[in-house]
Amino acid sequence: MTDISVQLLYLACGAFLLTAVLVVWRRELAAIIRLFALQGVALSGIAAVLAVHERSLEHAVLAAGICALRAVILPQVVRRALPPTGPARETRPLVNVAASLLAVAVLALLAYVVAQPLVQLSPSPVTRAIPVGLTVVLIGFFVLVTRRRAASQVIGFLLIDNGVTAVALLTTAEIPLVVELGVSLDVLLAVLVLQLLAVRMRATFGSTELDELTELRD
Amino acid sequence: MSVIGGVAAAGLQVLAVGAGAPLLIGVMRQVRARLEGRVGAGVGQPWRDLRKLMRKEPLSPRGTSEVFRIAPLILVATTLIVAAVVPLVTTASPLDSVADLFAVVALLTLGAVALALAGIDTGTAFGGMGASREMTIVALVEPTLLLAVLAVSVRVGSTNLSQIVTSTLDDPARVISPVTVLAATALAVAIIAETGRLPVDNPSTHLELTMVHEAMVLEYAGPDLALVEWASAMRLTVFLGLFAGLFAPWGIATSGSLAALAVALVVFMIKVAVLGVALAAGEVFLAKLRLFRVPELLAGSFVFALLAVVASFFLA
Amino acid sequence: MNPVGLSWAVALGGTVAAALAALAGPHRSRRVVVGVLTAISGAAGVAAGVGALTGSTFTVALPELLPLFGLRFHLDPLGGVFVAVTGGVTMAAAVYGIGYTRHGLDGRVAQAGVPVFVASMVLVPAAASVATFLVTWELMALTSLLLVLAEHRRRQQVAEAGLWYAVMTHLGLMAIMIGLVLLAAHAPDDGFAALRDAAGGLSPAMSATVFVTTLVGFSSKAGAVPLHAWLPRAHPEAPSHVSALMSAAMVSLGAYGIMRVGFDLLGGGPRWWWWLVLAIGVVSAVYGILQAAMSTDLKRMLGYSTTENMGLVLIGLGAGGMFAAAGQHVLAGLALAAALLHVINHAAFKTLLFLGAGSVLHATGTRDLDALGGLRDRMPATTALFGLGALGASALPPGNAFVSEWLLFQGLVHGLPNGGPGTYVVVPIAVAAVALTAGLAIATFVKAFGVGFLAKPRTDAAHRAVESPATMLVGMGLAGAVCAALALLPTRVVPALADAVAVTTPAVTRPAVEGDLTLRLVGVTGSLSPLLLTVTLLVAVVGTAAGVRLVATRRARRQARLWDCGAGPMSARMEYTATSFAEPLQRVFDDVIEPEQGVDVTHHRQSRYLVDTIVYRRRVPDRIERRLYQPVLALVRAWGVQGRRLANGSVHRYLGYGFCSIVVALVMLAVTWS
Repeated sequence: MTDISVQLLYLACGAFLLTAVLVVWRRELAAIIRLFALQGVALSGIAAVLAVHERSLEHAVLAAGICALRAVILPQVVRRALPPTGPARETRPLVNVAASLLAVAVLALLAYVVAQPLVQLSPSPVTRAIPVGLTVVLIGFFVLVTRRRAASQVIGFLLIDNGVTAVALLTTAEIPLVVELGVSLDVLLAVLVLQLLAVRMRATFGSTELDELTELRD
Repeated sequence: MSVIGGVAAAGLQVLAVGAGAPLLIGVMRQVRARLEGRVGAGVGQPWRDLRKLMRKEPLSPRGTSEVFRIAPLILVATTLIVAAVVPLVTTASPLDSVADLFAVVALLTLGAVALALAGIDTGTAFGGMGASREMTIVALVEPTLLLAVLAVSVRVGSTNLSQIVTSTLDDPARVISPVTVLAATALAVAIIAETGRLPVDNPSTHLELTMVHEAMVLEYAGPDLALVEWASAMRLTVFLGLFAGLFAPWGIATSGSLAALAVALVVFMIKVAVLGVALAAGEVFLAKLRLFRVPELLAGSFVFALLAVVASFFLA
Repeated sequence: MNPVGLSWAVALGGTVAAALAALAGPHRSRRVVVGVLTAISGAAGVAAGVGALTGSTFTVALPELLPLFGLRFHLDPLGGVFVAVTGGVTMAAAVYGIGYTRHGLDGRVAQAGVPVFVASMVLVPAAASVATFLVTWELMALTSLLLVLAEHRRRQQVAEAGLWYAVMTHLGLMAIMIGLVLLAAHAPDDGFAALRDAAGGLSPAMSATVFVTTLVGFSSKAGAVPLHAWLPRAHPEAPSHVSALMSAAMVSLGAYGIMRVGFDLLGGGPRWWWWLVLAIGVVSAVYGILQAAMSTDLKRMLGYSTTENMGLVLIGLGAGGMFAAAGQHVLAGLALAAALLHVINHAAFKTLLFLGAGSVLHATGTRDLDALGGLRDRMPATTALFGLGALGASALPPGNAFVSEWLLFQGLVHGLPNGGPGTYVVVPIAVAAVALTAGLAIATFVKAFGVGFLAKPRTDAAHRAVESPATMLVGMGLAGAVCAALALLPTRVVPALADAVAVTTPAVTRPAVEGDLTLRLVGVTGSLSPLLLTVTLLVAVVGTAAGVRLVATRRARRQARLWDCGAGPMSARMEYTATSFAEPLQRVFDDVIEPEQGVDVTHHRQSRYLVDTIVYRRRVPDRIERRLYQPVLALVRAWGVQGRRLANGSVHRYLGYGFCSIVVALVMLAVTWS
């Protein structure tokens, strides 16, 4: 792989990871959604570099599809789950921001250790970036667990999916289009459902604080 | 033996049973009467009763149906077939390969079932009561009967009646073996239960609540009642004849000669008469058991039959 | 494609066409089209089964239809018997269903379910690999569940029945799956031929495990005690033609499974396997008929009677296996032929009985025997047909089950002296159980027929009953004709079963029974001629009637009053009810049955010495359910209550569970890899 394409790849991966960390740091929901869109662009960047390197049209189509879905469509859908008026701030998360960032660091370390045997299987510049994808998966999961508002939890879920796609791209470098299409459709469906649920929750409770659901327990 | 001869012999059996059954009942009643210190009505009284009933007006109770009217016919028919199959006088009945011991037991049960349905069909409480009690007794007697059949047929290797008789004739010492004694005791109790004699049921009771068989036939009158009475008498004769044939078969004709048949007929009448007199004499000293004591009696006979089967294996 | 394959394909095609017609066809003609198409596929099934039975087998493999395994079918004589049984039952039930489903049951799903159910029952006996068998078995379970729940809007007990059925049938499926997969793990692929070859190399413990797990699953499907609890719940609540299909065709497939796995795949096995089967059969037969004798619900009674008859089939299978293990192949052939004949006979009379019960339900709206009565004047055809079925069920001549019980008895009698060690204990117990069952069955069906159909109607519902529509009568008539044919001409059927028996015990070369008018046993002495017996019986009845006409008086018959002790005409309340009919038996078997009684006395408002109302309640619970199922259910419930503590309603906690488990797993991975 040429030097410049390796650098571009690492740049895209860096942006990918940075956006994930910023999602943990920022509080405003609108900002979080914008960061998610940026991460979608970074992911499509990774796919585009790989497409140029492999010289495959399929990868190019894949990159374009990822950009369209994750940078444009999904953020729009999630934005519709936000309340129509007022500043959409995140209420106090379960784990405060400082502790969250420390947890993110620990998770990154864990992801690096766990991904080593995968990297050893076939060492190359591309596979060396796998820990990044795994870190984003763990960060996404962490966000999902520790946020109170439905919209930020949906973002966490989408981060997981982004991370999984990144790992797939970096390991195999040839995801069949069919698989990616299927996965994307699943994700779209899940997000639509979650958006619907969030709207209903707001209509019923007046907010989408998930802890209010404990009222339903018998 | 030729087919014609076989048919004639079977016909002779049916005639003997049909004609002699009321006489047997008459003898039993006379013995009881004399033992109880009464003069008695005479041996021919049951025949006179049948003749009287035949001349009476046939009645159908309001609300009953064909089931009620056909049941006596089925009862008589099954008993006549059994009389033709069981080797009472001869072993050469043409129906011998048609039915075996199991089928004979089932046919006799069919007759009881027909009568029980007729009892329910009347729609009275007595009819239902008699049917319910009779069916309980039939259900509990079946294991004893079939185990006794098993005990008898295991030694012979077949449930075919003529084969059982001929094999006992060939090996007379078998009769006093413990297997036969136990099976005979079990079968005797089962016969008492099936034919409705004391101590299971009192055939001459007038109290409806103590009736089993009589309650089912309470509504019958005229020719129908004559058929039912005749059929009960024939059932008793056939059962006693079966008992004699299984455990004391000497005298049964195995060849086709007329002399053998005549001797066999006389011997059959004597055997059945002896058994009947013993039964009647025993009844004088027994009281009817409560209905819920009857299962204990039947359980005891079941144990005897089971012991007979087990002994037949160990003493083989 | 040979004729057998063609008929089998026609049968399947007919059911698919019927299902499509039900889902997509117009409402008005739906019932008739579905009924006719299903009946045609039933007839094709009979043809396929009979063809397979007489020697021409049929094989097909469809590797692409199912991912990973593919589907494989092979119809051999043993499967042919069960396909023929299914086909016959379908013919009667489908024609009956045309009239029965007129009110409330002609929705798309309820109509489409029946053909698909029939299709699955035609597929199961032909399955020739583990994957095929499990898929078709599950299809059968799901479609029957759907059909059981068809009337859930009308009655609330239907939902409970469906739940019990769903849980138990899937537990059975799991047991079967475990057993078959264990067996298939030792073979190169999952086809039955490969399993047969691999079974020879299994250790005794492994083949015993396979047999016992599959026995658990199959005996539950057959309704054998102690896994029978679904049967008396599901069969009454299903629509009557579905009850007939389930009770006559589906439970027989439980016996099929035992024969296929125990005899064919595992090759026979040691004696104690068959003692286990025999023990299950004995307990099922006696307990089943006892509960049936106590039951006052017509369809529940028939459900328990199915348990009893399957118990008799299991006794035949156990005896056959026992004799085969002892090397007595003639006797084994006899016992297995008796078991197969009883499956066929039971299918015939149980179909007739369930269809008759459905007619009664349709006409009066109630299944309670204590509320019926007097139906013989209002529904004469149904009464006559039900009587024929009851005669068959009580194993009396000239009924059809009499022949199979005779065969079973002959097998046991001849097996006693030379059936191998231990038979002198097992056979007398089996004979006593069969005899007690026969006696109790007689009492039960006299009760059902007498109390339900004879005498006077006990309620208004019975009073207003009218005869069923023509299609229902035709369906019942078909089943009745089959019953009569099996009763009079078993000589056409029993020798043909020899091929099926030979599949299970290849050492049996000659048929166990031969003859045209008389059934003659081969190798041992015994003969019976049901046809001649019936003819003689008819001749004797006619002769007696003629004799009476000759001898008795010529006066006309007059109607007379019933004996009422002089108290005036009796009401219908004076009649014996089903509860009172069974009361002496219930007292005798009180320790086993343990009925529950309750008396509530409400006193008059003003005085405690005067009584306003007395309510008497009596229930006969299923004692085995009480003793065995309640503790298991209580344990599961306690476990669930403990588990509830983990779910406090907070979404974060649930997500946290997932996250923590993933992190812990990754940490462990990291630690073990480095």
